[in-house]
Amino acid sequence: MHKYILRRLLMLVPVMLGVTLIVFTMMHFTPGDPAKIMLGESAPEAEVIKLREELGLDDPFLVQFGRYVFNAVQGDIGRSYTTNRPVAIEIMERFPSTLKLAALGVLVSVSLGIPTGIISATRQYSLFDNIAMVAALLGVSMPNFWQGLMLILFFSVQLKWFPSSGFSTPSQMVLPALTLGTSSAAIITRMTRSSMLEVIRQDYIRTARAKGQAESIVINKHALNNALIPIITVIGLQFGYLLGGAVLTESIFSIPGVGRLMVESIKARNFPVVQGGVLFIAITFSFVNLLVDILYAFVDPRIKSQYK
Amino acid sequence: MRKNKKLLTLLSMMLVLVLVAVGCGTSTETPDTGDATGEVKDTLIVGQGADVVSLDPHATNDQPSSRVSKQIYNTLVNQNEAMELEPGLAESWEKIDDLTWEFKLRQGVKFHNGEDFTANDVKFTLLRALESAKIGHIVGAINPEGIEVVDNHTIKIATNEPFAPLLAHLAHTAAGMLNEKAVTEGGENYAQNPVGTGPFKFQEWKTGESVTLTRNDDYFADKAKVKTVVFRNITENTARVIELETGGIDIAYDIPPTEVSRVEEDQNLVLLRDESLSTAYIGFNAGKEPYNDVRVRQAINYAIDTDSIVEAVYQGVGKAAKGPLGTNVFGAHTDLEQYGYNLEKAKELMKEAGYENGFKATIMTNENQQRMDIAEIVQNQLRDINIETEVQVVEWGTYLDETAAGKHDMFILGWTTVTGDADYGLYALFHSSQFGDAGNRTFWSNDKVDELLDAARVEADPAKRAEYYSEAQEIIREEAPWVFTYNGENLAGTRKNVKGFKQHPAGHHKLVSVYFE
Repeated sequence: MHKYILRRLLMLVPVMLGVTLIVFTMMHFTPGDPAKIMLGESAPEAEVIKLREELGLDDPFLVQFGRYVFNAVQGDIGRSYTTNRPVAIEIMERFPSTLKLAALGVLVSVSLGIPTGIISATRQYSLFDNIAMVAALLGVSMPNFWQGLMLILFFSVQLKWFPSSGFSTPSQMVLPALTLGTSSAAIITRMTRSSMLEVIRQDYIRTARAKGQAESIVINKHALNNALIPIITVIGLQFGYLLGGAVLTESIFSIPGVGRLMVESIKARNFPVVQGGVLFIAITFSFVNLLVDILYAFVDPRIKSQYK
Repeated sequence: MRKNKKLLTLLSMMLVLVLVAVGCGTSTETPDTGDATGEVKDTLIVGQGADVVSLDPHATNDQPSSRVSKQIYNTLVNQNEAMELEPGLAESWEKIDDLTWEFKLRQGVKFHNGEDFTANDVKFTLLRALESAKIGHIVGAINPEGIEVVDNHTIKIATNEPFAPLLAHLAHTAAGMLNEKAVTEGGENYAQNPVGTGPFKFQEWKTGESVTLTRNDDYFADKAKVKTVVFRNITENTARVIELETGGIDIAYDIPPTEVSRVEEDQNLVLLRDESLSTAYIGFNAGKEPYNDVRVRQAINYAIDTDSIVEAVYQGVGKAAKGPLGTNVFGAHTDLEQYGYNLEKAKELMKEAGYENGFKATIMTNENQQRMDIAEIVQNQLRDINIETEVQVVEWGTYLDETAAGKHDMFILGWTTVTGDADYGLYALFHSSQFGDAGNRTFWSNDKVDELLDAARVEADPAKRAEYYSEAQEIIREEAPWVFTYNGENLAGTRKNVKGFKQHPAGHHKLVSVYFE
């Protein structure tokens, strides 16, 4: 198991290099001179030239890339063009909000999705199942920004229960968590339902029932455990995805997260922050994936034996 | 039960993760809103559309940062809401010769770190500002060799060439006075720990979220009425208006035109509308046929209905421009006659110029929604005088390069006269020495205008300067290197109980006299 984890961690190195190269190339060939964008339309040409020199923008592509990788290996992924602060600090300052939002979103989606999925599966084609599936379809199809705005209109403007923006007090976190959570909940519900349905029809479940096992134990113990693998995969993917920043939700609720930082940086041609951000997202995504793989072993001993 | 335990462990692990995540960085302090107890509030919450970039005034020139810096720093000279210059940290000033000004500084002023404000700080600040790539041009007229500390509270500042608008430049927020000790001690982190002499002291900056300031109880002039000011970063326009409606913020900057009626109709809110210093224009490439013919330029001015552009693109916020400057800029000629929509006259002029059958043209713009909308309207309206236009939308950097190189026919751009002085709004845009990147992207020039702009730059007497500028604007209007399109407005909304709030035309509004009723 340890060897496996180590191997997976080592595999991060080529992934990081590849990601860096792709992002660096894309940003490099994006039209637009960062120096001009930073200084605005009323800046004299001499100052633009001065700034280009300061930022090393006139060097050849490979020199710039080499310098970036060389510095990154030593933990320096550059300074933001706009604020002139280290990119790593800028990202880490934003990350707690993104982590909170992602964790709360997943919590909402899991606590809504798994129970609904189980009940739907055990009462297939019942009224509950039909309603749950329509709701899930709605949840998947509703765009986040629209749902967020509707929640704001209803809960903030009409009922005045929750604030409409910000992210420092618990009451401010409710609406964003709901917005993010419900769409993932829909996916998890559908996945739980189909995975459970598959398992419930298997022979060993019939055997368990035949030997007089209580239905709740049959479902929660025998069926759910074996249905968990695909569900965990989906949850892991959702979590990893949310950690990359939920741009729309962050924008609507004015949450200072990584996603918004990235969008603002792309608009401002703030290359170092975009590169650092993508790198960071790639790393967190890989880590969450690794975590999910370890969880498999934890849930299913058969998988654990394969990890060598 | 073993497997069920696993599920339980799994779920509890998730819960722990959530709690840890929620726990980290959560602030327990909630701002005093006062509403519930009926007490008068003393925390003012302001919502603006972007995060502060830096609180070091030499490190950035963006509006959100300036709006906060304005509360922390003072300038030598103040420019009030009526754009009049008044004493700031300098009590008085005097022009000694063509190049040199002498400033008497206010005594007994202390920085937020307890240091006394002296002439050495002024010298340090100006020399540092001159080095800045971001705002160096604002104080660029100053000769670094010509800054002379006479005594602790007297300083002489010389310019490279005679430069009459110096005072307006010194009133710009980028020329706020810094404390040498604080800057040196702060080093790289100075922008996160700014120190000024202003009515509010810096307290906290949550990146991407908010900046909090507290009252400076040792302020040298009238002290601030509220104890705390929080600038919250609410990027979505709609979200900002909703926050104002629900009482989450007390003042919302930059109300979008689409939300104007919503704020106006709400009985708990007040909408403020004041002319800003920004203008939008459609420029011709006067170095190129047929735009080198003044009749063609005039014809296009007559053929475009700028009033309808204001209605359609800006939803009636702001007004159609009569000339190159907004009316609140010093030196603006307020009695210029608007070209106005006159198709007959346009056709006549086209005929005179020999273009009765029109020609093909391109209008260049960047990916700015309002400019793209203008381009489309112009494209439609110019069909009436047989000009077939193609709209070219290019990326911002490319746009600046192409227009500076004169590769365009027509282009749409804006300009903000940040100093509120006609020199800033005319010299770079219409002087023949400023072709291309420096600002004159129309490549239009006129000897008389050059002469007037040069003279006004040197002339010390404001009345005479205004005369020169008036004459220059008459020529510019007549010669029409632009389609004079639009003068902007600042829009802000406040809760009804917010009093004493006035908008500054430059957009960085003072909050020292704001209070709650």
